[in-house]
Amino acid sequence: MTLVLKGVMQSPVTPLKADFSPDYDTFERLVDFHVRTGATAISWPHHKAESHNLTIAERKALGEVAIKAVAKRVPISIHVSALALEDTFELARHAQASGADAIIAITPYFWKYPSEAIYDYFVKLGTTFDLPLIAYNSPSYLDGVEFTGELTKRLIDKLPNFIGMKEASFNSEKFFEILRAALPLRPNFAMIAGVEYLLPSVSLGGAGSYSSAGAICPNLCIELYESCASGQWERARSAQYKLSQLWMLFRDQYPSSLKGGCVIMGRPVGPTRPPLPTASNERIKFIEKRLAELGILDTEPHGW
Amino acid sequence: MTFKFGLAHAPLTPFENGRIDYAAYAKILDFHTRHGAEALALPMHAGESVSLTAGERQQLLDFAIQHVAGRIPIVAHVSEAGTEIAASLAAHAKKAGASALIATVPYYWTPPQHMLVEHFEAIGKAGALPFFVLNTPGDMAGVEFPPKSIVELIHKLPNFAGLIDTSLDWQYMIEVVTVARAERADFQFVSGTEYMISASAVGATGLVSSLSSVAPELVRELYDLCRAERYAAARPLQEDAASLFRLMRDGGVSALKAAAALVNRPCGDPRPPLVALHDKDGLYRSMSEAKTFNKEPRGWS
Repeated sequence: MTLVLKGVMQSPVTPLKADFSPDYDTFERLVDFHVRTGATAISWPHHKAESHNLTIAERKALGEVAIKAVAKRVPISIHVSALALEDTFELARHAQASGADAIIAITPYFWKYPSEAIYDYFVKLGTTFDLPLIAYNSPSYLDGVEFTGELTKRLIDKLPNFIGMKEASFNSEKFFEILRAALPLRPNFAMIAGVEYLLPSVSLGGAGSYSSAGAICPNLCIELYESCASGQWERARSAQYKLSQLWMLFRDQYPSSLKGGCVIMGRPVGPTRPPLPTASNERIKFIEKRLAELGILDTEPHGW
Repeated sequence: MTFKFGLAHAPLTPFENGRIDYAAYAKILDFHTRHGAEALALPMHAGESVSLTAGERQQLLDFAIQHVAGRIPIVAHVSEAGTEIAASLAAHAKKAGASALIATVPYYWTPPQHMLVEHFEAIGKAGALPFFVLNTPGDMAGVEFPPKSIVELIHKLPNFAGLIDTSLDWQYMIEVVTVARAERADFQFVSGTEYMISASAVGATGLVSSLSSVAPELVRELYDLCRAERYAAARPLQEDAASLFRLMRDGGVSALKAAAALVNRPCGDPRPPLVALHDKDGLYRSMSEAKTFNKEPRGWS
């Protein structure tokens, strides 16, 4: 139960074949690539892994591949959020049985419900399973449904296995509200920025990030974290400004453009499932131009 | 024509019997000048700018400039709904001797982006002083000044000097710093709230502080630690600032004025439609939870 998360954690995309079926071999290679290029933990399938576009059976099968590919080198958490909570609990059961090190879950999708329902949901998840539990806060995608500092405190009091939060509001006030509620009660509680906004979050006391651009530029991600952690703020700013430009490039219809970028880096991961578009050749050319302008092509690994 | 923002205080505007109380305002200006302000920005929203007539705003600015008499620079806030009205306030501010101008998007209208650029261009040209846009979507029905428009305004307005931000949105903040400085290397990014750690880390070089009316020492110390990039050391102060910020955001100008009265610097009640805060004891208890609050000055000295 002593799982302490920090640094640049990677949440791989889901490689697909031309017919949109899961590409297990490439997935294994991608997970291995992340571990070899410095990921301090792996977490799959976040939304960038098209979690919503995979069937529950596919999520289980791919989850097993990921756990096997990581091979205990770093901790791996499984994202269990699904539209129906029945499926969420089924995915969590499967994650535990398959040897995952933790589970991560967002506040339930679509419905509007009181704060108390968020509490009940996470208590049920955290008490049904022994695995360490990471919560995921993303108010802008869930129409304002969100964690508060107070709710976080109550869950920490109740759940010894509640170890961290993926916080994706990208907002100083929200991030710091939760952080300052959590850390006095659980000093190792990991406040993890949703994508690599490490400069504004680590300076506030954050532990690290789940990466968006890690499949493109792992070196830059690690440089940003290392310079924040060692207080080299000027160097951190220059890395953060670049990564922020990349996030702007990838953010829309995420992860279509990210997958397009992987082609440029010699690590093709195939198309994106509808309703998300697959990056066109034109789009890939544009991404290549931006990657060149940002110096990514010269400083990051090409191929596997 | 340069103006480096630094730590600016946003003073309250005192009223007595519904009129601006200039005797009290003189004391307020002196207090801020002695307690860490490197500049004064007035009248900001915390100074009830929106509840003052155009004539009052001009008179208030004239008074402040004469009273402060060059001890520190005065920045004039000239936001208005109508472009011409804002532009005439800006022209007056320049004549009166202000050092810089601040304006946010037009009140009430929610204009498209190109109109925002035209609005700001007209104000900046009329004022011909270093011009700062105040981005405060939470106060302005969600209207923000987008990075693309910032670049456009940089091209159109040579005196567009920087942006003051209260959005606290990392995506926006970093995008602004990145794209604006690519166009104008000395473009200033200024924090409009006391969430100074993250703002400073991403590149803010100044702060406009409303909390300075009640906690000037905390604001000064937090600001200095952040400018020295000592963020870990700044964190306990940031916690206190976050507590006070929340109280004052929830209670607005009414809470700020009640808090000022509680520390023996009475500024009267806010003007209608704002209503005075009645639970002053409750406010005091909440403020006292900020650990540094008992070290703050009481009274005008």
